[in-house]
Amino acid sequence: MAAATEAAQRGASVVVFDESPAPGGQVYRAPPAGYAMPADPDRLEGDALRAALAASGAVVKTGHRVWGVGGGPLVPLGEDAAPFRIDALAPDGSNSVTEARALVLATGTHERIIPFPGWTLPGVLGLAAATILLKANGVLPGRRVVVAGAGPLLYAVAAKVAKAGATVAAVVDLAATSEWLAALPALMARPDLLTRGAAWRASLTLKGVPILPAHRIVAAEGDKVLRRVRVAPLGGGEERVIDCDALTIGHGLVPATEATRAFRAAHRYEATAGGWVPVLDEDRRTSIARLYACGDGSGVRGAAAAPASGRLAALAALRDLGLIDSTTHATARSAPAANFARAARAGGAMARMMALRPALVAAIPPDTIICRCEGVTRAQIEAAVTDGATAMNQVKQFTRCGMGPCQGRMCGEAAAELVAAKVGGREKAGFATGRVPLRPVAMDALLGDFDYADIPVPRPAPI
Amino acid sequence: MTAPYDVAVIGAGVMGCSTALHLARAGMKVVLLDRGEICREASGVNAGTLTMQMTRAALIPYALRAHAMWMRMGEWCDGGHVQAVDCPGLSVAFTEHEVAMLEERAHFRRQAGAPIEIVSTARAREIEPGLSDKALLAGHCPIDGFTSAYLTGRAFRPALLNAGVDLRERCAVRGVQPGFSIDTEEGEIRATRLVLAGGVWLQDMAAWLGITLPIKVLINQLVVTERLPPVMRTVLGVASGLLSLKQYANGTVLIGGGWQGIGDRQRGGLAVKPDSFLGNVRLAAHTIPALRDARVVRSWLGLEAETADALPAIGPIPGVADAWIIGSVHSGYTSGPYMGKLLAQAICGQAPELPLFPIDRLLAKDQAA
Amino acid sequence: MDVIARRDMLTSVADDLRIAGMTRPAPVAFTFDGATFSAPEGESLAAALIACGIRRLGDGLDPARPRAALCMMGVCQQCLLRVDGRLAQACLVLVRAGMVVTPA
Repeated sequence: MAAATEAAQRGASVVVFDESPAPGGQVYRAPPAGYAMPADPDRLEGDALRAALAASGAVVKTGHRVWGVGGGPLVPLGEDAAPFRIDALAPDGSNSVTEARALVLATGTHERIIPFPGWTLPGVLGLAAATILLKANGVLPGRRVVVAGAGPLLYAVAAKVAKAGATVAAVVDLAATSEWLAALPALMARPDLLTRGAAWRASLTLKGVPILPAHRIVAAEGDKVLRRVRVAPLGGGEERVIDCDALTIGHGLVPATEATRAFRAAHRYEATAGGWVPVLDEDRRTSIARLYACGDGSGVRGAAAAPASGRLAALAALRDLGLIDSTTHATARSAPAANFARAARAGGAMARMMALRPALVAAIPPDTIICRCEGVTRAQIEAAVTDGATAMNQVKQFTRCGMGPCQGRMCGEAAAELVAAKVGGREKAGFATGRVPLRPVAMDALLGDFDYADIPVPRPAPI
Repeated sequence: MTAPYDVAVIGAGVMGCSTALHLARAGMKVVLLDRGEICREASGVNAGTLTMQMTRAALIPYALRAHAMWMRMGEWCDGGHVQAVDCPGLSVAFTEHEVAMLEERAHFRRQAGAPIEIVSTARAREIEPGLSDKALLAGHCPIDGFTSAYLTGRAFRPALLNAGVDLRERCAVRGVQPGFSIDTEEGEIRATRLVLAGGVWLQDMAAWLGITLPIKVLINQLVVTERLPPVMRTVLGVASGLLSLKQYANGTVLIGGGWQGIGDRQRGGLAVKPDSFLGNVRLAAHTIPALRDARVVRSWLGLEAETADALPAIGPIPGVADAWIIGSVHSGYTSGPYMGKLLAQAICGQAPELPLFPIDRLLAKDQAA
Repeated sequence: MDVIARRDMLTSVADDLRIAGMTRPAPVAFTFDGATFSAPEGESLAAALIACGIRRLGDGLDPARPRAALCMMGVCQQCLLRVDGRLAQACLVLVRAGMVVTPA
């Protein structure tokens, strides 16, 4: 929203694509049409961003699933870079193709859930997923909820569930109390967040919610659906069983880099930014000309830092397109650059808290499913490495891990960590090549109505 | 410095793996080099089609023998296999023009030994109930099938190691001196004989030896659906050869046929072309209407090599003693294991079961033997 | 309530999990696996099914990996089902009056 607003306000012709019914992403998500719910700070911030976007003149295409990207550097050898191409499915199911001279990616993150026995049971839900359920839909994940994982979302979700009248059976925090204390200095820059966090914790304490620091979920159990979880201290120790009808669990956020990977942009692995991220300059330029990345999708630094990074990306794009001069650019970028640095400090501390914990991956039992789409277990992934696979693309071939409809988004982190442990690090394990479609696309929508004669069948090979 | 090898094979795709395996089993000390991983290029990303109805007539005898090898891979590859499925194949015509093409091509392939018969649409739909009723005529070949090509490297690897092949992955070759001294990232490797098995990179490899061998690069596009209930049970193609369609046991349907994407030798396969992507899936859904209900999950590209006359380059390299080449086989994956076996026979001084494809015809006069 | 009993045994009261104190559009009826439910028009279908006590959205390909909402943001593909005959992700579909939802 911020990038589009900045660019459109400065006279660029801008189009925004978003899969949701309204702009806002996950944190600043708008309530569905016809809903009225008490506003929280995120909603107010989101409403302000939405209003600015609406007034900016940018064309906003919501409900559009972007399934393809192309153009730019993806042209035959020797040809000049082409305009970027965006293939999107509109809400009515029709396909649209849009071209642009510059492309800003603000793709956000998806959740990292390190697998454990029973994580495939209905009733186990992501932590960010629970936030969407609670905030955007006003629906509780269950009547008796265990909230588990890492990062500030733990306490936000637990407080919201408790406030709505459901039981929080426990908060199972991977972080030790000392880790939260260590993050405090960085959070001092954001007293608003600090206050909110303290209020969440206080409300839970008041309701007598058990908070278990340095604990993990050992297993989720139930027949057809979740009935209970087993939890244990991280360093080992006695397990306890907690009955519940919902487990919300998240182990941090992973930048959604499928588009930058499809463009073959340079990436680097930075655990404290969420994993593989595009290599960027300080104005959010990727290694590909006129391709920019901003927000958590380019490295987790939190929602507060995202709008500033979006403005930086937009300004760099305008400068590179010659729509503003270097003086204007230098002046305009100073405020968002400073805002980004400030917000990223607190965001970075939270991102570190949510970084992948190798010990959690090491604790996965051999027969636990890692790849849900294809049913691939830890043992199968490790067997592929024993059989000679050395990197993620090869593990994918040997096991089908990551070949299913989610394209490795859910299993990729745990699988890569398992491979990394054997081959000597995430850089060596690499990542699966980005492929179109970026999301599964219904053939029906793609095909449209056609006659056989319309299919441009190429010339056959000689007999 | 390592002791000299009897033979160095450069390129660990299906051609290189099969050649190396058969040479090692004939008693040679073999090193198999690849700049990347085993069967990670064309051999691991192709459509796995084992059809006769897309194979060039001249290659049918080879493809038939290779089909049998794929089907019994476990027996000759120490249990390694690629989940080969033996099923009938249909090649379909939708227009009068395609009917003529179908009949002509079936005739030539039948002459070359492929048991293809022309069948009515009604008969074709008995063989393949998923087939569209818009088909006018079909070629039916009972010998057809497919593999999961992504398993090829995993299938070959243990057998190569068991046979004593020194498999060196991620070991790029920078150049070769006659004799042979092979300059690699891991240092010099010496070998008495040399086999170039570098797919689309054969042109660069031949240049190491001062040979100019033009190799055209095809950027073949593949598209796969998510898992579906059974919608088909044959390998399906069209008369022009520009569709290959099959459903795996896991339910996914693989759509290929050689539609071209964007890419090159230097950068690999980069991106699908929107028109090719759409055209290919429309052709697939026109042939198997139930595909309209599917979701497309992924597309990718594989690089296929082609010589000037689109026939293989398999044989000795003229003017360079003990140097051999193998590649540029149209539908090369289909025939691959057999071609490697043949070349190994020739290198071992035996008469190959079937003729090789010497490259003299492809070289300028002063380079041909 | 057969479907709930068979699939979940989570709750027998629809609307039980909807947080009070907010204004929602009027409920409309839809069916899931042949049984009729109601949810506010425009609610995310994945949220509506959870609120109606339905977690298990079908056996999917393998009962060890049943269909269920997981990410709620269109990424994980685990909540795939059929809406009016077409494959759809429950978390990306909004409830409409009369929609016919079946497991995929």
